Amino acid sequence: MTYQPGAVVRVRNTDPDHHTRMPRYVRGHTGEVVAVLGSWVLPDDNARGMARARVETCYAVRFSAADLWGSGTHMVTVDLWESYLDQP
Amino acid sequence: MGGQTGFGPVPVGEDGEPAFAADWEARVYALAAVLRQRGLFNSDELRDAIERLPPGQYLGASYYERWLGAIETLADEKGLA
Repeated sequence: MTYQPGAVVRVRNTDPDHHTRMPRYVRGHTGEVVAVLGSWVLPDDNARGMARARVETCYAVRFSAADLWGSGTHMVTVDLWESYLDQP
Repeated sequence: MGGQTGFGPVPVGEDGEPAFAADWEARVYALAAVLRQRGLFNSDELRDAIERLPPGQYLGASYYERWLGAIETLADEKGLA
């Protein structure tokens, strides 16, 4: 576990050629960790049937809707695995 | 959907509303659960297979029609069918 609640993180701006649970609408955006959700198998590996799929810490990360889409006053929270995130 | 705009709001059912709109939807859900428990595929492989549906099929299908299409894909790829 790298990040604690309150940490500011940036989602990596990548375009993997396989399944991922890193939604396009948050890639490259900065958000705040609001909860640490424990260790979960990495979907990117598990979707490819890898025998040794990585297990990573998953975080609930909150974004401003206005940052993501240019309008809106609400916040959007997305569950994101450790390797989807970087320090800004 | 997929982070794209223009698909309108997601309808949220009232508490107590049946989980399935039709019997066949419950059967598709149960089929996926059994095949997952038997080890044919895991939840991420099912999600991946949903995303790999041909775009025209994906966009024209309901939620559980997509599940059924993904089950058919995986059953074929893994030699079950």
